[in-house]
Amino acid sequence: MLPTLGHVAVVIGLGASLYAFVAFVIGARRSDPRLVESARRAVYATCALAAVASTAMVVSLLTHDFSVSYVARNNATTTPPFYSIISLWAALEGSILFWTLLATGYASLVLWRYRARHPVLMAWVGATLAAIGVFLFAVMTWPGNPFARMTPIPAEGNGPNALLQNHPFMGLHPPLLYLGYTGLAIPFAFGIAALVTRRTDEAWLGIVRRWTMVPWIFLTLGIIAGGWWSYEVLGWGGYWGWDPVENAALLPWLTATAFIHSSMVAERRGSLRIWSSVLVIATFVLTILGTFLTRSGVVASVHSFTASAIGPWFLGAILVALGVSLALLVWRLPDLAGGGRPAELVSRDSAFLFNNVLFLGLTFAVLFGTLLPLGIEAFGGGKISVGAPWFNRVNAPIFVALLFLMGVGPALPWGRASWATLRERFAIPLLVAVAALAVAFGLGMRMPAPLATLGLAVFVGGILLDELVSGARARARARSEAPPVAAWRLATRNRRRYGGYAVHCGVLVMAVAVAVSATLSSETTTTLRPGQSVDLRGYRLTYDRLAVGPLRDDPRVLETRAELRYTGTQQGSLATASRQYPNSVTPIATPAVRTSLGEDLYVTLLAADPASGSVTLHVLVNPLVVWIWIGGAVVALGAIFAIWPDRRLLPMAAPAGADRPRPAPRPGTATHPASLPAGPEPALDAAVGEAPPSGGARVDA
Amino acid sequence: MRRLRWLIVPLVLVPVAWLFLQGIGQDPRALGSQLVGRQMPSFTLRTIDGRTVSSESLRGRPVVLNFWASWCIPACVDEHPVLIDAARRVGGRAQFVGVLYQDRVDDALGFLQRYGETPYPHLIDQASRLAIDFGVTGPPETYFIDATGVVRAKQFGPLTADAMRAKLATIGVTDR
Amino acid sequence: MRRLAVPIAAGALLALIALMVLAFMRPAPAPTRAEQAAAIAADLKCPDCQSLSVAQSTTEASAAIRRQIGELLAAGRSPSEVRRYFVDRYGEWILLSPTSPLAWIVPFVAIVAGALLLATWLSVARRRTRTAAPAATRAAADGPASVISEAAKRRVRDEAEALDA
Repeated sequence: MLPTLGHVAVVIGLGASLYAFVAFVIGARRSDPRLVESARRAVYATCALAAVASTAMVVSLLTHDFSVSYVARNNATTTPPFYSIISLWAALEGSILFWTLLATGYASLVLWRYRARHPVLMAWVGATLAAIGVFLFAVMTWPGNPFARMTPIPAEGNGPNALLQNHPFMGLHPPLLYLGYTGLAIPFAFGIAALVTRRTDEAWLGIVRRWTMVPWIFLTLGIIAGGWWSYEVLGWGGYWGWDPVENAALLPWLTATAFIHSSMVAERRGSLRIWSSVLVIATFVLTILGTFLTRSGVVASVHSFTASAIGPWFLGAILVALGVSLALLVWRLPDLAGGGRPAELVSRDSAFLFNNVLFLGLTFAVLFGTLLPLGIEAFGGGKISVGAPWFNRVNAPIFVALLFLMGVGPALPWGRASWATLRERFAIPLLVAVAALAVAFGLGMRMPAPLATLGLAVFVGGILLDELVSGARARARARSEAPPVAAWRLATRNRRRYGGYAVHCGVLVMAVAVAVSATLSSETTTTLRPGQSVDLRGYRLTYDRLAVGPLRDDPRVLETRAELRYTGTQQGSLATASRQYPNSVTPIATPAVRTSLGEDLYVTLLAADPASGSVTLHVLVNPLVVWIWIGGAVVALGAIFAIWPDRRLLPMAAPAGADRPRPAPRPGTATHPASLPAGPEPALDAAVGEAPPSGGARVDA
Repeated sequence: MRRLRWLIVPLVLVPVAWLFLQGIGQDPRALGSQLVGRQMPSFTLRTIDGRTVSSESLRGRPVVLNFWASWCIPACVDEHPVLIDAARRVGGRAQFVGVLYQDRVDDALGFLQRYGETPYPHLIDQASRLAIDFGVTGPPETYFIDATGVVRAKQFGPLTADAMRAKLATIGVTDR
Repeated sequence: MRRLAVPIAAGALLALIALMVLAFMRPAPAPTRAEQAAAIAADLKCPDCQSLSVAQSTTEASAAIRRQIGELLAAGRSPSEVRRYFVDRYGEWILLSPTSPLAWIVPFVAIVAGALLLATWLSVARRRTRTAAPAATRAAADGPASVISEAAKRRVRDEAEALDA
C-alpha cells in the first residue's frame, strides 16, 4: 500500500514537473502571468510529492517492508530505527529520492521567495529547475525506481551497508553534501535564465551569489564532515584520499568558490558577466558529473554504487546541460562580452582574477587526475592509477599559491596599488612570518611543505589581523568607541569583507593542520599479548584484554574488542574494535580515536586471535588533526556571518524567516541600496536580493 | 566567422560523450594480466590434503589455475559448478588447480563440503606469494596456462560456461 | 617603523632561506631499509581496496606486499628494482602515481597558460583604455547607469577606508 503510494507520487511528480516546465516556457514566451503562476504551483506540488514518496520510503524502512526491493537490500529487522531512517540515502535509488526532495525543495523556496519579482527571469529560472525535476522523477520512474517490488518477499533483509551503519556521522555527512549539490542547481538556473533573457545585471549577480553561498556552506560542511567520517570510521588514520567520490564533491566546490570571488569583481567593475555565467554553469555540470562518475561505475571509487542502468541517464543529463549551456553562451556571447574598466596588474581586482586562474587550475588538475585513467584506457593505453601521491604533489604548490594570494589579495587596494601601500600593509606581517619561520626552524621542523605553509599562514593571518585591527582602531578613534565595540561594529557593517576574512582564517588553520598532520604523524604496527605494551611518541599503550560479543543495539553484529590503557600526553583507556556484520565478508574496523588539541591517538584493530588473546594493532599519533575540523567550523561560521541578512540596511525587508506576503516593490520605486545611509560597504548582496535596482527592472517591466 | 563559433558546442560535447561512453559498461576494476604471453611463475606449494604441487610438475599439460576463497561470496559460489563441470569433462586433457586466496584451510574445506567437492587439488598460498606473482587483485581470478608453461589468458571475476569454453580454447583444450 | 620593517624582513627571510638551503644541502643520512620500504609501500596501490596505498591499507593483500617489499630489499634489491618487480606482476596500475611526465606537466602548463592569458588580457585592455580615454564613459553607457555609479561610489569608499587604516 505505502510503497504503491510512493510510486504513484513519483509518477505524478514526473507529470507535474513536465507540466511546470512546459507552462514556464510558454508562459515566459507569451508573458502570461497566470500560466507562470500555475507552473510555479506545479513545482510546489513536485516538492510535496517528493516529500510523500520520501515519507513512504522512510516508513517502509522503519517497518522493514521487504516487499520493496530497496528495503530488502538495505535494511534488516534488527536495524536500529536511526539507521533505518538514514538508509533513505544509503544506496542509489533512495539517495536519488532524497536528492529529488531537496532539489524540489530548493526550487520551491526560490520560486516562492522571488514570486513577485523579475517575472520573466524567474519564469526561465523555474523552467530550468522544472527540467531538472523532470530528469530526477524520470530516473525514479524508469531505471532507478526506489519502490521496485520484490517477489517472493524475503523474511529477512540484507541490512544496510556495514560501513554506513558503523557511525552516526552517516546521518550528517550525506544530507549536508546533498544540500550543497542540489542547491547549486539554483545559480545554474539563474545562469541559464540570464542567458535566455539577456539579464546579467547587479540584481542578478546579487541573487546568484547569495544562492551560491548557501549551498556552498552546506557543501563545505559536507566535505569536512565526510573527511571527519572517514577519519573516524575507515581506520587508516587519514581523512582525505583523493578518491573519485571525494573529488566529485571538491570539483563543484572549487568552481563555486571561484565564482564567489569573481562575482565581487564582476559586481564592482560591471565586467566578467559571461565569466560568472560560465562558472555557475560549470559548477552545476560538475555536480552531475560527480554523480555520474561515482554512480555509473565508469571510474573505480570507494563508494561506487553497483553499476546500474542509471549511468547512461546521467551521461545524457551531462550532455544536455552542457550542450544547452554552451549553445546559449555562444548565442549570447556578443551581449555578454565586454563592459567595465580593466584592472591594473597589481591590484585587488587582478588578485581576484588570478585567484580564479588558480581555482580553475586546481579544478582542472583534479578533474584531469580523476579522468586520466579513463582517458588513457580509452586511447588503448592500458590501466593506470592516479592516487594520492600524484594529487598531493601536483595540488600542493597550487594550494600554496592560493594561500599566498589569499593574504595578498585583500591587502591590495581596488584599482591600483602603489609601492607605498604595499610596504605599508605587508611589512609587519612579513616580519612576523619570518620570525615564526625562524622559530619553527629552530624547533627542528625541517620539512619544506609544512614550513612553507606555516610561514605563509602566519603572513596571511598577520595581514588579515592587521586589516581588522587598523580598521577598528581608526573607527574607535573617529567615533570614540571602545576598540572591541568598534571592531564588532566595523565587522557587522561590512559583513561580506570581514566574514570573508573569517573564512580565510579558517582556511589558514586548516592549511596548517593539514600540512602538519600529513607530514609529521608517527605510526607503528604491532602484535601484543595481554599485558604487553607499545611505545609511540611519548605514549605507552598497554593491552589488557580481548572481548568478543554481539553489539547491544544490533545483536546480529559480532564485535571483537581490544581494551587498552594509555599514558602520555593524554591518559585513559580505550577500546578498539572490529565488527563482523552479517552482510559483509570482511570485518569493519572501528578505530578508537582520542583527540586533544595537540594530537590524536588513533588505534585500529587489524587482527585478533581469540585463542591466544593476541591482537595486531595499528597505532598512529596524528598531530593537529582536530584543527582541521575547527578550521572548517570557522569557515562555515565566517560564511554565515558574511551572508547574514543585515536588517539595519533593509528597511524594506521583513526579518529572514518571517517573510510574509507583501506588496512587491514596483520597478523604479524600488529602494536602491545606494540611496540608503550605509556603512563603509553596504551588505549589497542582501539588499539586492530583496529589491531590484532600477537598471535591472528594465527587461522585466 | 560568426558561424564558426557554434563549432565549439560539438567540439566539447563529442569528446566528452566519447570518453564516458568508453567507460560505461566496463568494470573499472577488471585488470588485464601482465603475465599473458610469459612463462608462469615457478612455485612449490602444499595442497589442503597434504600433497605438494610445483610448477615443474604441471609442465607438459595445459593448466587452469583458479584463485578463490570461501569468503568470496557470491562470485566464487557462482563459478564453482562451472569449474567442477569443466574439470570433469576436460580433466583428462588439462590440469585444474585451485589456489586459496587469503583463506583458512578449515573455511575452504567447509566451502567445498557445502558447494561441492572438486576433482582437483587446492594449494595453500603461503604469505600470498603466488597471488602476488600472478598479480591477483581479488578472487575469483583464473589463469589459463598452455602445455609449455606460457600464460595464455586470464579471467577476471567469476567464470561462466561460455567464458570457460573460450578461454580453454586459448590453451588448446576444446570442449566438445 | 614600517619603513624599516621591509628591509629587515627581507634580509631576515633571505638569511633564513640561506640557512635552510644549507641545512637541506647537508647530506641527509642514507634512508634505512624500513624507511625505503615505507616509501615504496606509500607509492603502491593496495590491490583489493580503493584509493589507498599499500602502506595505509590494512588488508591481508597489502600486508603480503609489505612483507614482500621487506624481503626484496633485504635480498639486496634497490628500491627501483622493487617497484619494477611489482609493475611486472600487476602492471602500471599498481603505481599510485602515473609515470608519464605528461601527467605531471599538463596541470601546470594549463595554469601558466591561464595566467599568461589573463595578464595579456589585462595589459591589452589597459592599453586600449589609455588610447581611447573615454572608454569608461562608454562602458557606463553600455550598462545600467546605477552599476557604474554604485561601483564608483564604493571604490571611493574603499579608498577612503584604506587611507583611514
